Amino acid sequence: MSQVIVVTSGKGGVGKTTTTANIGVGLAMRGKSVVLIDTDTGLRNLDLLLGLENRIMYDLVDVTEGRVPYKKALVRHKKFETLFLLPTSQVKDKSSINPAQLIVLCNELRKEYDYIIIDCPAGIEQGFQTAIAAADTALVVTMPEISAVRDADKIIGELGRADKDNIKLIVNRIRPQMVEKGDMLDMNDINDILSISCIGQVPDDEMVVTATNKGEPVIVSGSSLAGKAYTNIVGRICGEEIPFMEFPKEGFFARLKRAFGM
Amino acid sequence: MSDNVVKFKGNGTGLIMLLDQNTPYPKLEAAIKARLAENAKSFPAGTVIKTSPNGFGQKAQAAMMAIFDEYSLKLEFSDEALVRNAPAARSEHRAHRDMPAGRDERVEEMLVINRTVRGGEEISSKSSVLICGNVNPGAQIIAGGSIDIRGTCRGVVHAGAFGDTEAFVIADNLMPVQIRIADLIARSPDNMEKRDKAERAFIKDGQIVIESIER
Repeated sequence: MSQVIVVTSGKGGVGKTTTTANIGVGLAMRGKSVVLIDTDTGLRNLDLLLGLENRIMYDLVDVTEGRVPYKKALVRHKKFETLFLLPTSQVKDKSSINPAQLIVLCNELRKEYDYIIIDCPAGIEQGFQTAIAAADTALVVTMPEISAVRDADKIIGELGRADKDNIKLIVNRIRPQMVEKGDMLDMNDINDILSISCIGQVPDDEMVVTATNKGEPVIVSGSSLAGKAYTNIVGRICGEEIPFMEFPKEGFFARLKRAFGM
Repeated sequence: MSDNVVKFKGNGTGLIMLLDQNTPYPKLEAAIKARLAENAKSFPAGTVIKTSPNGFGQKAQAAMMAIFDEYSLKLEFSDEALVRNAPAARSEHRAHRDMPAGRDERVEEMLVINRTVRGGEEISSKSSVLICGNVNPGAQIIAGGSIDIRGTCRGVVHAGAFGDTEAFVIADNLMPVQIRIADLIARSPDNMEKRDKAERAFIKDGQIVIESIER
């Protein structure tokens, strides 16, 4: 039974697209067939993170308007055979796609693929409403930061009003040292407010930036902390019970280094 | 002629009859009869119409009430008809009507919300509100009566929104951005600690106070 997952957050810049790319690649690495749909029309990024920009021929708007069958618009990933991207248009805007069109498209895709992951645009306007329309599951991405948590709360409310009750939380860009010092919200603070089940805690990792610029999601190498966290999330999406990883504490030498400003 | 002597007007809380002050009573009575004969059908039976009592003797008042009675309408003599243009005074009246003299006679209704109220949501009710869940930052609860939150309150709460100064706010964890009761506002201290005890906010000596309670 295939699943349609929307990745959303309300606030921009918390890592929706990064999460979408990593989960997509992670599922493909497990041999699942996956389609990633970018619905951030006009501000598309997902193709860049996957390193597929130069292979795009048609886009989501072409498909929803019936100019080409969706098969023609899907871009196969260069490394993972079972991963496909359905990019959106960079010239049109969010009003070019409506919820009904996306539902029809997802129902088509369900027949052929195990997972359909929708990358939602920031905000709560039309683009958001379109992106969530077809989803069975919503992954709400947030950051340990008061404004991101506030927006996530609002988004969870909106999802509830749209009758989406399978909502999971991913907390991205955690900085363990800051949490330890009490300078950053910890998981308890976030759970207190949002009170939905959490399936991922991803540390802030420089490797993510490097990976984004290279067009190869951080999960591929698997050695970085963020990569491991995403691998765990993928496992949990597949129904496995995986405990949350402990973030390494800052060691003695690291502290010494910092004290001397190195 | 009767058009200028007798006028019916809505004032937001009900119907009001305005009478020309300079017309002598017998003429007024005739004018009222004429007006009612024309318009009574547009008022449903039992409609209460208010008018200001100034200048009428008891006899005249009784006579006027009898005229209205014929059309199954009720005439009341009330000062409210005088102060219809002063909004502050009007809202006071509303509060009085919402809260009849004896507290026990009060019709207690309650709105029950069985979930977490999230940011951006507004719950508004004339009655009291019971929330079994949290009230998150950015949410607003507005109640004519009191507010009881079985969870943590972090949003804005307004109890007694229509003037009931007896209203209160209870929460298992009371840490709202603002508490408003009737026309008073209190804001949270700039750094608030989480307390484990349930608390109650109410009006005492003209300001909002908070005490911890057992429950």
